[in-house]
Amino acid sequence: MTPTHRITRAAQLESLDDFRRFLKEHCAPHAGITAEILYDLQLAVDEACTNIITHGYAGMDPGSIILDLEIDASKIGISITDFGHAFEPKSAPTPDVDASIEEREFGGFGLFFIQQTMDEMNYRTTEDGNTMLLTKHIIIPTGD
Amino acid sequence: MLNYFRVKRQPEKVVPDLGAISVSMLESDAHLPFTIRQLNNLPEAVKRRVYRGLIPPNLLTRFGIDPIQWTGANKEPLVFLKAEVNSEKVLITAQSSPDMNDEFFALELADNSLNGVELNLVVLNDPTTPRYSIDTIEDGQPTLFGTLKRNIKAEEQAMHAGLAPGQVRAGLGGSRMVFEQLDTFLSMLGHRAYFLEPLTYASAWVFERRGFAYVRGHKLMDDIQRGFQAGGVLYQSLDDGSAFRKLDQASTVRGRAWAIHDGILDTLDLRWDKIRMVKQIGRHAGVETFPQAVY
Repeated sequence: MTPTHRITRAAQLESLDDFRRFLKEHCAPHAGITAEILYDLQLAVDEACTNIITHGYAGMDPGSIILDLEIDASKIGISITDFGHAFEPKSAPTPDVDASIEEREFGGFGLFFIQQTMDEMNYRTTEDGNTMLLTKHIIIPTGD
Repeated sequence: MLNYFRVKRQPEKVVPDLGAISVSMLESDAHLPFTIRQLNNLPEAVKRRVYRGLIPPNLLTRFGIDPIQWTGANKEPLVFLKAEVNSEKVLITAQSSPDMNDEFFALELADNSLNGVELNLVVLNDPTTPRYSIDTIEDGQPTLFGTLKRNIKAEEQAMHAGLAPGQVRAGLGGSRMVFEQLDTFLSMLGHRAYFLEPLTYASAWVFERRGFAYVRGHKLMDDIQRGFQAGGVLYQSLDDGSAFRKLDQASTVRGRAWAIHDGILDTLDLRWDKIRMVKQIGRHAGVETFPQAVY
């Protein structure tokens, strides 16, 4: 069974550092997780959590964000759970990445970055919270 | 910052508004959650059989109560179920003798507007310990556990006896057992989580230890932790201004809870209300807003 590592923090921007450190600490022992992969994970988690902080808990005293991490031989699984307003992935606008800096609208890149850095992204809302599931495939060095 | 997904504001119901539980419903879907209201509409014997699962049998046998019959040594009823037809609430209480007015156990569950489950009340009192009348004022009017009015004299006595705000007697112990039982009961019903609003800082801390996370108020708990550090705003407000604001209270859960009960959060322009917690069935959130706390 793959062990799950968990950290739960308040949904506030100060917690993002804790999430980054948590990912670094638990990814460090795994040779297959390069600095580039770790950066992708941290970026995706940063974006997802910032959305929860900014929008998910908007208008209320922020609750918790639960971050679960599972690493096995071929993939890294991350789940991010909150109890705020649910996210509607299908309604998220696609940012115009080809537009010039002057023409670009502020915002809209969070989901785009997650999709670019992760191999799979799923989202579910159930009685026990809103959970974003992220998967990143890794290749373990064979030693050749 | 570059993130902004959209959010939907209308949450969906956990359970559709279905009618009575039927055999065909039980046979067709093992995962469909049931509401308290649906359970309350069951025949009395069935209802009692189902709700028996709400109290840990060990808790009853500690007081010589038959966990099946709910009676004492002389066959007198000592466990009471209030689960009226069409009601969305169930209250179950247990007392150690017919003469005692105070229960040692009380638990109330209710359906919420999304057909999820709320834990409205959980009480675990040691009936052998002294009782403090923090729940009434001198003319007998209820204080709603000190939230509406306060019986200061009784509260001081309770605090010096080691109780937390809202407690009329010392705790019984056994909250772990009760919450494990509740997890089992609600998973049997098909629910994945339940919710509550902690009355006090001390109860929120206990619920953290039992695996709850926050729907609202996690940041407040962090703010409180920071405020009670040496030099913090709350720490500085422990100025002997009342019996509930002594400096040594900053270092204990109960001490903080009494100071908060006494209104110390006013200094941060905050109030202890609308805190909401959630327990995911079978999972421990691992929240610890007061690390290495002394109770």
